[in-house]
Amino acid sequence: MNLVNIVEALRTKIVKRIAYGVLVLLVVVDFFIPRHEIHFLGDKIFGFWSAFGFIACVLIIVVSKWIGHHGLMKDEDYYDK
Amino acid sequence: MINEILNNGFIHPSAIFILGSVLIPLLKGRIKQGYMLLLAFSALFAVIMVPHGTYGVYEFLGWKLTFAYVDKLSKVFAYIFTIMGVIGVLFALHVKNDGEHLAAFFYMAGSLGVTFAGDFLTLFLFWEMMAFSSVFLVWYRKIPSSLASGFRYLLWHVAGGLILLAGIILQYSVSGDLTVQLLPFHGWWPADIQSLAVFLIMIGFILNAAVPPFGAWLPDAYPAATVTGAVFMSAFTTKTAVYTLARVCAGSEILIVLGVIMAIYGVVYAVLENDARRLLSYHIISQVGYMVAGVGLGTQMAINGAVAHAFAHILYKALLFMGTSSVLYATGTAKLTELGGLYKTMPRTMIYTIIGGLSISAFPLFSGFVSKSMTVAAFGEKHIMWGFIGLMLASAGTYLHTGLKVPYFIWFGKDQGIKAKEPPWNMELAMIIASIFCIGLGIFYKPLYALLPYPVHFEPYTAYHTWESLQVLLFTQLGFFLLLKMLWCENTISIDTDWFPRKVARAFMWLVNKPIANVEYGFIGEIYEFIIQKPILKVAHLLRVFDTEAVDGTVNGIGKGMLSWSRILQIIQSGQVQHYALVMALGALTVLAMMLIYF
Repeated sequence: MNLVNIVEALRTKIVKRIAYGVLVLLVVVDFFIPRHEIHFLGDKIFGFWSAFGFIACVLIIVVSKWIGHHGLMKDEDYYDK
Repeated sequence: MINEILNNGFIHPSAIFILGSVLIPLLKGRIKQGYMLLLAFSALFAVIMVPHGTYGVYEFLGWKLTFAYVDKLSKVFAYIFTIMGVIGVLFALHVKNDGEHLAAFFYMAGSLGVTFAGDFLTLFLFWEMMAFSSVFLVWYRKIPSSLASGFRYLLWHVAGGLILLAGIILQYSVSGDLTVQLLPFHGWWPADIQSLAVFLIMIGFILNAAVPPFGAWLPDAYPAATVTGAVFMSAFTTKTAVYTLARVCAGSEILIVLGVIMAIYGVVYAVLENDARRLLSYHIISQVGYMVAGVGLGTQMAINGAVAHAFAHILYKALLFMGTSSVLYATGTAKLTELGGLYKTMPRTMIYTIIGGLSISAFPLFSGFVSKSMTVAAFGEKHIMWGFIGLMLASAGTYLHTGLKVPYFIWFGKDQGIKAKEPPWNMELAMIIASIFCIGLGIFYKPLYALLPYPVHFEPYTAYHTWESLQVLLFTQLGFFLLLKMLWCENTISIDTDWFPRKVARAFMWLVNKPIANVEYGFIGEIYEFIIQKPILKVAHLLRVFDTEAVDGTVNGIGKGMLSWSRILQIIQSGQVQHYALVMALGALTVLAMMLIYF
C-alpha cells in the first residue's frame, strides 16, 4: 500500500515545522498583496484574515462546546427515556 | 405523461425516471445495472437537448398546468440534478433492494418536476412526490430508529406541504394566477392577504431548505437513511428548495437574516456532533445558509453566487456523504468516537473525502472557492458587513469540521484497529467522478459561470481574495490542532428544534395516559355513575314499570278483547252456507220489518 506509506511519511515533525513555516509566510506575504477590493476596515489591516481565521476557530469551538455542555448535548437515549 | 413525451420533441426528465423505473424490478444483474445507468444518462441528455421555452401545457379540470418552463435558472438546476442522478445511481448500483432504486428515481423525478414546473399546482404535485418517495430511502435502512425518523421526516414535510398549499390557494384567490413567478416577501410579518399568501409559500419553501427553526428534520432523517439513500437526499430536497426560493422569493430581505443565522447555526451544531453523517447534515444547513442569504440579497451577483454554490455544493456534499457512507458500509458505524486509524485500510476513500472537505471549505483550486466567494463578495459589494463577517465565520467553521474534524477522527485520531476495506468498484468510481468535478470546477470555472442565470462579472482568483481565503483556512487549521483536546468527540446527541414537537407530543401522550386516564377512571367515572348512571337506571326502572303495567297492559287488554270477540264471532262463522243463508234471511227480514214500521 503506497498510499499508506505516503500518509505515514507526512506525519513527521519536519512536515509539522514546514506547516508552521507556511503560516508565518502567509502573514508576511500579506504585506505585499495589492488590496483592490476594500469593503471595510479589516481589509486594510495586514494579517487581519490570519487573526480572523484563528480567532473564529477558537470562538466557534469554545462557544459551541459551552452551549453544548449547558443544555444542548444529551445522552444518546435521551428521546427514548 | 405520454403525451408530454411526444409534445414538441421535448422529453421531460421526470417522465424518463417515472416511466423508466417501472421496468427495474423486472430486470436482473448486469442488465438491470446497465438499464439504470441508461435512465440516468437519458435524463441528463434530455436536459442538455431542451431549448428554452414552455412545454407540456395541459388543461385539466379548468386549470392550466405547465409541466415545463425552461430558462437559464431552471436549466442550470436541471443540469446539476441530472449529473447528480448519474453519480448517485452509479454509487447505488450494487444495491439489491429494488424498492430503494424506485424510491431514488421517483425522488429525483419529483425534484426535476419542481424545477421545471411552470405553475404552482404542478410544483405542489412534484413537491409532495419528493417527500413521499424519499421517506422510503430512510425506511429501507430497516432499523427501528430509521422507522421513527422516517415518520418524523414525513410529518415535517406534510406540514410544510400543507402550508405551501395554503399559500398557493390564497395566492390564487387573491390574484387568480398560479404561474410560478417572482413574488418577493418584504418586511418581517405579513401585512395583508397578498403578502400572507407569499409568506405561506415562502414558509413551505424554507421548511424544505431546512431553515431553522424548521430544519430539524434534516439532521434527524439523513443519518438514519440507507448507505446510498443519504447520498441522494443530501443533493435534492434542500437544493430544490433553493431553486424555488430563487425563482419565487428572490430579494426577500428576511432570507438574508435567516441565511446568515443558519450558516452559523449549522457550524455550532457540527462542533457538538459525533455521528459523521449527522455532522455533514448540519453542514448542509450551514451551506444552504449561504444560498438562502444570497437569494435574500437578490442582486444579480448574489443570485449567481447562490446558484453556483448550489451546483458546487451538490457535488462536494454528495462526495462527502459517499465517503462517510462508504465508511458506514465498511465498518457498520459512522460515529466518530468508534472510528479512527482507518487510513491504513481505506486510504483512497480518505483522499476522496478530503477532496470533498477542501471543496466545501472553499480552498483555492476546489469548487467551493469559485462559488462561495461569489455569494460572500456580493455581501461585501452591498456593504452588509454583519452578513459578510457572519459568512466568513461560518467558512472557518466549515473547514474546521468537514475539512479537519471528519477526516481526522475517521482516518487518524485514536486507532481503533477496525478491520475495513475499500468499498465496491461502483461506489469508488462514483467518488472518483465527483472528485474530478470538485477539482475541475475549481480550476475550469468558466463553463459553470456561463450556465448561471445572469452574466458574471466576477473573478475568483484575485491575489487578495486568494490570500484572504488561505489565511482564514490555514489559521483555522492551527486553531484546530491547538484545541484538538477540547474538540474531542463525545458520545452524545444534541437537541434541536424538533425537541418541541417530540417532547410536546410525548408530554401530550403522558398527559393522556396518566393524569387524564386516572381522572377519567377515578373522578369522572364516579361522578358519571352518581349523576348520570344511577338516575338513568332509576328512570329506566320507572319506564319499565310503566311499560309493563301501562303499555303492556293496554296492548294485552286489546289482545284479550279481540280474543273474546273472535270467540263470539267464531260461533257465527261456522263455515256452512246454510247458516250464512239463514243469517242473510234473518237480516233481510229485519230490514223489511224496520221499513214497515217507519213507513
